[in-house]
Amino acid sequence: MPVQVFSFYIFDRHSYRVHLLQTLDRPSTAPSPLEPNFPTHHHRQQRALPPSSTAAHPHRQSAPAGLGGLPPGSSQSTSAPNNGISGGAYRDSRSAATRAKDDAKLIFGTVFSLRNMVRKLGGEDDAFISYRTAQYKLHYYETPSCLRFAMLTEPGALSMRNVLHQIYINLWVEYVVKNPLSPVEHKNGDGVKNEMFEMGLDKFVRGLM
Amino acid sequence: MRLTASIRGKSVICEKKITKPSLAISPLPICLNTEDTNNIRRGVIALLIINKAGGLIYNRTFGEGLNQLNSNDYLVLAGTFHGVHAITARLNPLREHQAAHYYAQQQQQHHHSASGSIGAGSGGGQGGPLPSRPEPPSGLEVMETENFRLQCFNTQTGTKFLLFTDTMQANVDVAMRKVYELYADYVMKNPFYQLEMPVRCDMFDRKLNSYIREINNSR
Repeated sequence: MPVQVFSFYIFDRHSYRVHLLQTLDRPSTAPSPLEPNFPTHHHRQQRALPPSSTAAHPHRQSAPAGLGGLPPGSSQSTSAPNNGISGGAYRDSRSAATRAKDDAKLIFGTVFSLRNMVRKLGGEDDAFISYRTAQYKLHYYETPSCLRFAMLTEPGALSMRNVLHQIYINLWVEYVVKNPLSPVEHKNGDGVKNEMFEMGLDKFVRGLM
Repeated sequence: MRLTASIRGKSVICEKKITKPSLAISPLPICLNTEDTNNIRRGVIALLIINKAGGLIYNRTFGEGLNQLNSNDYLVLAGTFHGVHAITARLNPLREHQAAHYYAQQQQQHHHSASGSIGAGSGGGQGGPLPSRPEPPSGLEVMETENFRLQCFNTQTGTKFLLFTDTMQANVDVAMRKVYELYADYVMKNPFYQLEMPVRCDMFDRKLNSYIREINNSR
């Protein structure tokens, strides 16, 4: 059954955002004439697709601009005015990158609070699985090492717990944990920068839709 | 009769042996089954009402299944939930799409009405249908965990009803609606009730108790 997946986040135990995948094409990407003017890291961040230019070293750790993660200083990028939607009082004045960053923080806060609430009410062994609003559904999975997976899908989706578990087992453990060059901690939220993981995850999530 | 009496006099093991085959035939096992699993299936466990400022105004537990917290913890919980609810409403991943769609519709409408008034001179310019406004984002509605399920109902005025049930409970919407009805009838219509203050209404307590008991026993 195809499920519409909006976005996917991984947080480590320090709340740093380790990975972000946005499968939703924002309205800003629709008018293609603006596309060449976009800063490249911006484009990558929105699509989270590994660009072919960096495909040489699958496990390299020193990619100049974060893949999937936010490069430092992207918040002051000037792409906000040419977002495609022109004018309108409803429009957020923040750039897309800042918005994504803020969203990630909000999601972490939500998930963290709800998890603590659930533990308080249901006992230490209870686990928060998902919540749903009229617009979306958030699925949550936490590993014993406090790695947190959050996935936003359409509200009618069934439980995605096993999907998140699969991502952990087949992608995270295989490509990140077993990679000797991978750092233990992913500080500053600049992403995992792991080509194999990025590609595998992208393929897997798009396979769900 | 005689048989059972004599058996009962003998021993417990004997009694079990006799009753087992009879259970398989008679409709009795169904009743026994529900009694056995009563501890697992708990139905509606608790109700919390949070006012629009995030304060806890009603708190009642109907059955086992959740940890008992002290009243201070419940207050903290209500406040936390209030905040989380506001955040979840903001996190709508489709908001930009909806906004863009609405804006495009509005532009189109504007264009239509302008050209209509110039061309035909028909006053008003009510050419197309009014653009539909995107649904206001709703916050958290249902939360699932391994041990329980939380249904949240947010009224138009911002009062939140949190119903904790077990994970298998069906028709929580109906129960929620009924609880809201009881609240409207026995709390809001109580002339001595002060808005946004803790609910202390005997009638509400009694009606709520009997309704929840009815649900929990009907399973």
